[in-house]
Amino acid sequence: MNRNFSFDCIGYALFALLLLVVVPWGLGFDGFELNTFARYLTLGMVAMALALSWGCAGILNLGQAATFGLGAYIMAMHLKLKASVNMPDGMPDFMGWTNVESLPWFWEPFHSLPVTIAAGLLVPAAVAAVMGIFMFRGRITGVFVAIITLAFLVAIQLVFVEEQRYTGGENGLTGLAPLELFGWTADNYSLSFYYFVAGCLICALVLALALVRSKVGLVLRAIKENPDRVRFFGYDVARYETLAFCASAAIAGWAGMLYVLVLEFASPTYMGVPFSLAIVIWCAVGGRDSLVAAALGGIIVNMLEGRLSDLFVDGWTLFLGMLFILVVLVMPRGLFGVFHGALARVIAFYRQARLERRESLAISRSVVSGTHDKGGR
Amino acid sequence: MAQLELQGLSVQFGGLRAVDGLDLSLEQGELRCLLGPNGAGKSTTLDLICGRTTPTGGAILFDGRDMTRLPVFKRARVGIGRKFQTPTVFRELTVVENLEIARSARPGVLSSLTVFRSRLQGRMREVLDLVELGDELHTKAGNLSHGQMQWLEIAMLLMQDARLILMDEPTAGMTIQETRKTGEIFNSLKGSHTMIVVEHDMSFVRQIAETVTVMDQGGLLAQGSIEEVENDPAVREAYLGDGGNGHA
Repeated sequence: MNRNFSFDCIGYALFALLLLVVVPWGLGFDGFELNTFARYLTLGMVAMALALSWGCAGILNLGQAATFGLGAYIMAMHLKLKASVNMPDGMPDFMGWTNVESLPWFWEPFHSLPVTIAAGLLVPAAVAAVMGIFMFRGRITGVFVAIITLAFLVAIQLVFVEEQRYTGGENGLTGLAPLELFGWTADNYSLSFYYFVAGCLICALVLALALVRSKVGLVLRAIKENPDRVRFFGYDVARYETLAFCASAAIAGWAGMLYVLVLEFASPTYMGVPFSLAIVIWCAVGGRDSLVAAALGGIIVNMLEGRLSDLFVDGWTLFLGMLFILVVLVMPRGLFGVFHGALARVIAFYRQARLERRESLAISRSVVSGTHDKGGR
Repeated sequence: MAQLELQGLSVQFGGLRAVDGLDLSLEQGELRCLLGPNGAGKSTTLDLICGRTTPTGGAILFDGRDMTRLPVFKRARVGIGRKFQTPTVFRELTVVENLEIARSARPGVLSSLTVFRSRLQGRMREVLDLVELGDELHTKAGNLSHGQMQWLEIAMLLMQDARLILMDEPTAGMTIQETRKTGEIFNSLKGSHTMIVVEHDMSFVRQIAETVTVMDQGGLLAQGSIEEVENDPAVREAYLGDGGNGHA
């Protein structure tokens, strides 16, 4: 479990360096550019969350956007309430338009920021736990998990669109107040805000890495290969799978909360099928076997989208589709697979060279006359 | 009292009675060889004991506790380990990782969250030395030779330290030397571990067995020492009538 630890540490350090130093410097500390990049980071975070369940445990969750959207709405509810302090009864404006008499009970707790943050992590995790217990106790695997999570995504989006009185419907939640955290006001076009988002991403990556590198990660990899054999060693497979699924959901919820801070509104499109499938593409392009690679996949694809959609407008989606086909056909392990394969080849080459040199040294030493040909290598 | 007791155990697949009213009891520390022609229900019996197949009748008692309806992972926690006919190791994991999975004294999620490195001392080192995989620690199990994979799975069972070990043809595909060494390991486990071994190789059975049980058509045919069983007319008929290997 610990063998690739130094490899991980180097990867994470480089990634942190990239986010904390190279990117802000490269963008010239420009507020607008930093905000755009902070958005890419939150999307990278949700791609990383998917890698945790898909790459690590083999659970292909096509409904990752559902937990992302839940986190987003929870944060938006808090900020909406803050923006509505001067309204009658402190009620959000859209509720007035739809004749809601008083603030619904499930909006009340979100006056408090600590409750909001806790809920943004725990509500997605709890939803995932309920789904996970049903799916994994029932030994549902593979494509059926994908179908169930996709169906759940569609259902939950429908609820948020239909219940306009409580959720703002198609419009979502707009006109939000800025977040205030320990006396710091989040100005989403500032450098400090960018660092806040980058810090959250790195923090989430480290937590997820701890999970993957612990024995839980090992058991999950074993489950991915042969769940039955794992049961014969006394592991409760359903519990391990549920844990991975929940952790992934919590991180997606966290990313959703950040996304609302970046864009200053929550919309039901965050729970849309196109968005959810895009997450799968980002994760596949980066490489689902590595958390950092998946996060980078999310960042890179979205950067490309940002640049190319300016040039081609709608043609961009064609390009994205082609990219996905290319990845599936040519590099099924994503960019990480290509990189890892190359690295392994280089390491093997040097190891072989070192071995040969050591052997030839041993031979030349054993030959007393020292006239052996090979000794010079 | 016997450690493992099967009482009138039966299982039916469609119309086929694979195991039919089998009674069997094993003492703690005993090594029992299970013989019988193809289709006699030997592997199915192991499947029933470890929980892979649910019986349609009868009971399984382990340490006096009824295990008949317990799920697989709970039986494993009670101390039942299983080796399959073809080596089922985790091919994508390294040798050490395979053994770490097998070290499952604390299989809970929370205790797994606190484990970050595999300790190579103690039991792990002993087992690695025993099966001579010490040089292959970080080799992916899928890249091992067939014999080494068989060893790895045996090593995993030793790591698991199950009190009852069920082996389905543990020496399949092994060389003569490897088979002999497997026999030595099994002999050293007698007394501390209870074992049921399904095997066709009679010289191997002679090396390890005290008592053998012969099954035929899902039921018990004969039981006793190897000589007794070999001279049993019913056994001779079952094998020869099956067109099978006359040396049993």
